[in-house]
Amino acid sequence: MQRVPDTDTPGSALLSVRGIFKSFGTNAVLKGVSIDLLPGEVLALIGGNGAGKSTLMKIIMGIYTYDSGEIYVDNERVEHNSTKEALSRSVYMVPQEPLLFPNMTVGENITMGFDKSPSELETELQAAVDEIGWHLDLSRKANTLSIAEQEMVEILRGIMRHSKVLILDEPTSALAFDEVKALFGVIKGLRDKGIGIIYITHRLAEVFEIASRVCIMRDGIIAMAGNVSEFTRDDLVKGLLPPNAEKTAERAEKAARSIDYDADPVLELRDFSGYGFKHVNLKLYPGEMLGLAGVVGAGRTEMATTVFGRDKVLGGKVLLNGRDITGLSTKKVIAAGVNYVSEDRFCYGIFSLRSVAENTTSALLGGKRIGSFFLKRDEENRITQSYVDDFRTKVTGISQDLGDLSGGNQQKIVIGRTFATNPKVVILDEPTRGIDAASRGDVYAVLQELRQTGVSILLISSDMEEVVELADRAVTMYQGRINHEFSKRDINQDNLMAASFGAYHEDGEDA
Amino acid sequence: MPEDRTKTVEATQTKAAKPGASLLSRITAGQGSWNMLLMALIIIEFVVFGAANPKFLRPQLFFTSLNDSLPVFIISIAVTFVMITGGIDIQVASLVGLTSIIIGVAWQDWGFSIWGAILLAIVVVVACGAFSGFLIAYCRVQAMVVTLGGSFLYSGLALIVSTMSSTESYQGISGFPDAFKFLGGYKFFDVFPLQMAIYLLLLVIAFILLNKSKYGRKVILSGTNPRAAEYSGINTRLTIMSTYMLSAFAAAIAGILLTSYLGTAKSDLGSDLTMDIITAVVLGGTLVTGGRGSVIGVALASFAIGLVRFGMPLCFKVSTQYPGHPHRNPADRHHRWSFSGEQHQCRD
Amino acid sequence: MKAIKKILKARESSSVLFLVALFLVVGAINPSFLSTANVSACFNTSVVYTLVAIGMAFTLFIGEIDVSVGSNLGLVATIVGMMLRDGSNLMLACCVGIFIGALIGLINGWGVAVMKAPSLIFTLGVNGVLRGLMYLVAGGAWVENLPKAFKDFSAVTAVGDLTVYYCGAVLLAIVIHILLTKTRHGHNFKAVGDNRAGANLVGINSTRTMLLSYVICGVLAAIAGIIFCSRIGFVTSTTGSGYEMKAVAACVLGGISLAGGVGSVLGPAVGAVIMASISYLLTFMGFSSNYDNAITGVILIVIVVADALIQARSAEKNRHARLAARVSDDVTADVAAAKGGE
Repeated sequence: MQRVPDTDTPGSALLSVRGIFKSFGTNAVLKGVSIDLLPGEVLALIGGNGAGKSTLMKIIMGIYTYDSGEIYVDNERVEHNSTKEALSRSVYMVPQEPLLFPNMTVGENITMGFDKSPSELETELQAAVDEIGWHLDLSRKANTLSIAEQEMVEILRGIMRHSKVLILDEPTSALAFDEVKALFGVIKGLRDKGIGIIYITHRLAEVFEIASRVCIMRDGIIAMAGNVSEFTRDDLVKGLLPPNAEKTAERAEKAARSIDYDADPVLELRDFSGYGFKHVNLKLYPGEMLGLAGVVGAGRTEMATTVFGRDKVLGGKVLLNGRDITGLSTKKVIAAGVNYVSEDRFCYGIFSLRSVAENTTSALLGGKRIGSFFLKRDEENRITQSYVDDFRTKVTGISQDLGDLSGGNQQKIVIGRTFATNPKVVILDEPTRGIDAASRGDVYAVLQELRQTGVSILLISSDMEEVVELADRAVTMYQGRINHEFSKRDINQDNLMAASFGAYHEDGEDA
Repeated sequence: MPEDRTKTVEATQTKAAKPGASLLSRITAGQGSWNMLLMALIIIEFVVFGAANPKFLRPQLFFTSLNDSLPVFIISIAVTFVMITGGIDIQVASLVGLTSIIIGVAWQDWGFSIWGAILLAIVVVVACGAFSGFLIAYCRVQAMVVTLGGSFLYSGLALIVSTMSSTESYQGISGFPDAFKFLGGYKFFDVFPLQMAIYLLLLVIAFILLNKSKYGRKVILSGTNPRAAEYSGINTRLTIMSTYMLSAFAAAIAGILLTSYLGTAKSDLGSDLTMDIITAVVLGGTLVTGGRGSVIGVALASFAIGLVRFGMPLCFKVSTQYPGHPHRNPADRHHRWSFSGEQHQCRD
Repeated sequence: MKAIKKILKARESSSVLFLVALFLVVGAINPSFLSTANVSACFNTSVVYTLVAIGMAFTLFIGEIDVSVGSNLGLVATIVGMMLRDGSNLMLACCVGIFIGALIGLINGWGVAVMKAPSLIFTLGVNGVLRGLMYLVAGGAWVENLPKAFKDFSAVTAVGDLTVYYCGAVLLAIVIHILLTKTRHGHNFKAVGDNRAGANLVGINSTRTMLLSYVICGVLAAIAGIIFCSRIGFVTSTTGSGYEMKAVAACVLGGISLAGGVGSVLGPAVGAVIMASISYLLTFMGFSSNYDNAITGVILIVIVVADALIQARSAEKNRHARLAARVSDDVTADVAAAKGGE
């Protein structure tokens, strides 16, 4: 049920973008996006992780430049080269992570950057606060605010600017039920005043509650668009999936492996709770590749890093082959046999200024394999070279700086580091994110090879295709909890996508 | 968050495309070539100073005068470790004085043997380094501020210790046994000071420690990307704290040698060395943001600075004295032996 | 009243209270301290530190630092001193001095804001160059024989026993504080230091703001140098060395964070008084001056550690709250949402 994207002429729209292309280096994020926003409507924009929603919004706000295309505000062609320009055209984006000034008060935060006199601003601010009906203490410091309150402050900024176009990027991700209700009331009020609102969300239910039109973004294009009344939930879910979803499922059948599910699990999480996730029960069997799907913010990374000793355990247990490794330090967790590849290799993975060899062996410094006091350079080089060869990593030599390698090759090195510690369990967090297609295939090949060695892998991924292709079994997390488990035969992109958005029906009936 | 993802993708792409984009990191990326530059600078200094005043090149005078820069040489090697972790240590200068006065007071007034006094001084000073290091690594207090407070505290402690002596603090404690003065005074073939040899030994040890040992690797990785180091199972906090103990130890050695060389223990020895030390470390190619540093580079840089300190007054009559040194400029007569200059202005 | 509550809660108030407590303690131990002359002396001696600290505060607000202020002060003191010694007009000498300070500030600002050099390194380099210039200009000799009238003016009092200089400095601090807090662009400095991306997002030109902060810092250091000449009466080859650290200490005592975005200029003013008069106060308490540095160090470390621990605690709390908000309390949330949306 494909729908043709809107082709309204720019004439009637408040904000229009046409044919926006944007690439970061060789990575094409937006491949020709066209959207119209009419006055007095709420346009829901949904899409999986990496679909390009945030990039598009940042381009509209002048934070990023676009490679080609056009932007129109009120029928006028504009070039948003800087944020100030976008602001002057009454376009305001409430960012998903509030960018407040932590050491300033709420009042100061809202009035920051205006060119009016402080007394004028005070009266306007009071008027805006009264209008919204929220009870917010203007003299509180921003760093004492809860996330919900920070969101409200950001929204107030948009209102103060009398924006004609308001972009809300996942505004309810941290709001409680009644706060969401209050927010929707405000949004409806703004909409009735003729303000156009782009509403980005992962929660399909909200689309039906607040939006009048919906656009589905996938892989850098608008896959579907239309009035909300013409869609059902399943339509939305289907729109989020790539077109060849079925084919992938077929291929996966052939690669099925036999896992002994009667054996004791190698890794078990019992009622495991921490910051960002609760009551997780999970079992990982020997030699298994378990997919863990879910949207960003579902709590998968938090769970993994807590297992890895990076954050406090609030409850429950982690058992490795029956041994309790709950709450151990990272060094001890690695020594016990669990290792982790972070989703953010730039922040947590790579030593950019150091060599390939130093990067590969960084996790071995705790043990004796590369020496007790002095470094055994020969051993170090041998280990590094073996991984470079096995993974077919493109390097000029093992002394090359890691920062000079492509993303894909960097990732291979980090994966190599993880496996060099001879773990029993490896947790991979978005291992192919931000990697070009060619390297991606390489990484898959590497993972398949490593599975032969008997290592169990927990594969955290937002790429449904990847999970379908690689996983023996899959679970999904939604809002901090495991909400569904799928056996091999039930793993398909439909189910995973639906469950990730909290919209999966057990009996598979249409809503 | 989708926002963060795009940022990371973008950042990774940019990183892959433009490694070491800033001028500073491009220079230090080629540490080898940077060292060459420093060597060239040193050669130029030899030529210029030697031409201006041939006495500059006389080995006797040359080595004797370099002795004054020895504390900077020694301490800057250790501070390199600190700065590689992204920190900074501006309390080292005060630890030199603390070492000196503890040796003096412990030996003269508390009845320690000279070697016992030296041991005591080392233990106390390294403990001071550990204290500051703890605050920096575990309590996450900024290194600059902690070591700033430390510089006041430890120089103050040194002064207090000096009052525990029967000798007036401005006089300094002397009369040390010859065995002790041997350390700072002996010269091989009457030319090459033993101190210098000790320094070279420390240099070799530091080089091996940084480049050939697991510890050095942990220091470098903790400074390059502390988060990635943590995720590799490295105890970055302990590693970082230990670098402050190293720099304190170096300050202690410098204090011991300086006291031996001058034959006098004073609480304010080394008080004006901080800027030179930091300059030497940075000039040697160490990245302020951490992750890059070279022992050889810092040695060369401190040497270059030492040559300037020695050459300028000799060849161009420009005074660049350390006010804390008794053997230098007669103008020092006017100076009170106080920490960081014009304290006397409080009293008018 | 709300305003009074707000004032009392401010970090600067704790610095003021600390200072007052300090005075009271000293007075309790030695009642002869509690004369207007003695208490005023504490303030009067801090005027140079105060000016340098206020200037330094600007660079700390934006999250950077300026370690060249000491040699800036020294160089200006040297040049102005030489000009006055050789008979120049006072106005001219002051203008020259301030101009030099502004120029130094501009160079520092260019290096940090435009060339994006790390501020510690760049200002350290400038510091070295200025020191060298000082020797060159003065020929390594002291600058003495300044006009008597110029020197005597430093003792002229304005309010009670407080000198004109100190009253002027206080006035300046108050004016700057008002400008920073009440005008529309005054908040820009702390905004840039608090969240540079956020500042750009709301349309603040962070580069221009950073340049301005360094120029202000340079000018204030220069003024401090001129006043130094007047108060001390001569300039040596090491004048000003160490002032940058005293200024940082004064700022930190006054509640400014080296990370940027926090504090006011009133804090450093109080901190400067503490830094300058510690030794004076300790004398009254019967401590010899030997204890000055140690006590200063202890105070500094205690305050800084306390600040850091409090900061870290609230950051952790925020993070945990943020993560906890993402977790649904209702296990069947998705089913409910599915049903509720139709």
